[in-house]
Amino acid sequence: MKKLTYLAALLPAALLATGAWAADETIAVFTKNQTNPYFQTVRVGADVAAKSMGATAVHYIPTKPDSIPEQLSQIEDVIVKKPNAIVFVPVDYKAMTPGVEMINEAGIPVVNVTDRGAGGEYVAFVGADDYSLGLETGRFLLNAIGGKGNVVILEGVKGSLTSIDRVRGFNDAIKEFKDVKLVASQPANYQRLQGLQVLENLMQSHPQIDGVLAANDAMAIGAIEALDGANRKAQVAGINGTKEAVDAIKTGKLLASGDYNGFLQGCIGTMIAIRDLRGESVVKEVVLKPTVINASNYQPYDVALDARTCPTWEEAAAMETKK
Amino acid sequence: MSITDNPTTGASGIHLSKDMQQLVYRLLAAGLLCLALSIASDAFLTSNNILNVLRQASLLFFLASGLTLVILTGGLDLSVGANIGLSACMAATAIKATGSPVLGTLAGLATGLLIGLCNGLMVAKLRIPSFIATYGMLWVLHGITYYYMAGESIHGFPPEFRQIGSGYFLGIPIPIYLMVVFLLAGTFFAQRTVWGQQIYAIGANPVAARLTGIPVDRRLILVYAFSGAMAGVASIVFLARLNSAEGDIGETMTLPAIAAVLIGGASLFGGIGSVFGTFIGALILTLVLNGMNLLAVNASWQPLVTGAIVIFAVWLDMYGRKKA
Repeated sequence: MKKLTYLAALLPAALLATGAWAADETIAVFTKNQTNPYFQTVRVGADVAAKSMGATAVHYIPTKPDSIPEQLSQIEDVIVKKPNAIVFVPVDYKAMTPGVEMINEAGIPVVNVTDRGAGGEYVAFVGADDYSLGLETGRFLLNAIGGKGNVVILEGVKGSLTSIDRVRGFNDAIKEFKDVKLVASQPANYQRLQGLQVLENLMQSHPQIDGVLAANDAMAIGAIEALDGANRKAQVAGINGTKEAVDAIKTGKLLASGDYNGFLQGCIGTMIAIRDLRGESVVKEVVLKPTVINASNYQPYDVALDARTCPTWEEAAAMETKK
Repeated sequence: MSITDNPTTGASGIHLSKDMQQLVYRLLAAGLLCLALSIASDAFLTSNNILNVLRQASLLFFLASGLTLVILTGGLDLSVGANIGLSACMAATAIKATGSPVLGTLAGLATGLLIGLCNGLMVAKLRIPSFIATYGMLWVLHGITYYYMAGESIHGFPPEFRQIGSGYFLGIPIPIYLMVVFLLAGTFFAQRTVWGQQIYAIGANPVAARLTGIPVDRRLILVYAFSGAMAGVASIVFLARLNSAEGDIGETMTLPAIAAVLIGGASLFGGIGSVFGTFIGALILTLVLNGMNLLAVNASWQPLVTGAIVIFAVWLDMYGRKKA
């Protein structure tokens, strides 16, 4: 008899572990675009997490990159379909508030990932801190050039939250080194070609550039092409930890890339969403600590995305940043 | 370009001189910009920077030169930017698969040409307005490219291939030679051949052109195919310069390419414009960015400055045209 109660108690736990009772849970995952490799890492993270917990992730991506009206109408469509939970990267942190309010009204739990939304009710926020990402990546590069010399910053899209915070982090890092001079801070809009052309132009007016801090990897790699083309040498660092950046770090072309940890964000955001709808305990906020990927620590990043594994819930919960 | 009023006479001296007068004003706008920049920055008027600007302008020019012929017929090709994206990805795939830069280049050019051909057939045969046909094509291409690339990039190409974009011959970057070749060939084709003159005529008055026996459909297919092929050329130079292909590389280039053609004096209604004017247009757009970087204009002001200079350049051109 005692044995039987034991078994009865174990049964739900066993089902939970295999995810059998969750077979038809659908998680709608919203990301900004199909063009930025970063969001691909978020999506794969969400897929891996959902699969391991026995749920299905369905992706909603604006066909026109970062389109506010399109994401809004995707929300409307999704509300009609009633997914069990939503993992949400707003294309614009302010403009999507009405969309989030619609989700709230429909009573669907929603977890906010990457860009912190300005309004609406979220179960939790999972992101990385752009400012400390910029600061740590900046410090790493400035130390690598010996704490002195001329540095340029390649900014992202003007007005975007990620660019503002990363560039602020870069600037604060530069202020810590009194022998480092910021010779130019120019926009290249997160675009590879513009990163290349802007650096080509800057090299004309600055005969000596020792370091380049780019707000994303595409601009950083464009900058490297410009330096190579002019037979000049400078240390270059980017942000995002993309596959291409890891390859460039491996071959010694790129000094470092601040890791925005999209995969981990996708994992943890989706885990929270699924746990919340199953009535399990969740954490309210996870802001990932920056990792600066460089020649000494790139190995774990040098594997195919879908071969990576999500952290366990205990590991994820330990990353909680606010009660 | 009153030449189009009477296409059968071909290019005569008088008309060309009127063209020249207009070109002078366009050149003046570019010249003024150069003068201001050389006063403001020591680095501007150096041979290095001039080669730098020309090389940067070349990408925009490749795209815009094909577009010029389309706009001359009174049409528009909105798919050029998306075309670059897919063509570059196809070329990159072919190089990675075969290891051959030649096959890669052919794959990129063929993709561009094929897309242009489809546009041409839609416009000429199905009579779909070019704005809609190429706008639809833009989405089709984005769809294919994004699906195919899945947010990844293809990077790292053989050095021989990279020469096309980053190599030098006699101290001058290869893309500049390519630009000069296409500039001369395009100008000769548009101004000095019967086909070129027929293209002007179609833009000036399509009904009259049809009645005078010009094979309008075939010429239309030709210009869209050419525009597509030039996007293919741009994609190859792009790929060779950047050493990397991603789905969205051309996305920010469509509007600047159209702007380059219009700053160069072309009319969206067709019949007016020239490949050389487009070259000046591409140059002006490139100079603005170059100048702002050299002068370290604050990032927040750059869009405003770009807009103001573009409007000023076109105003100067219109002013000149009235006087001419």
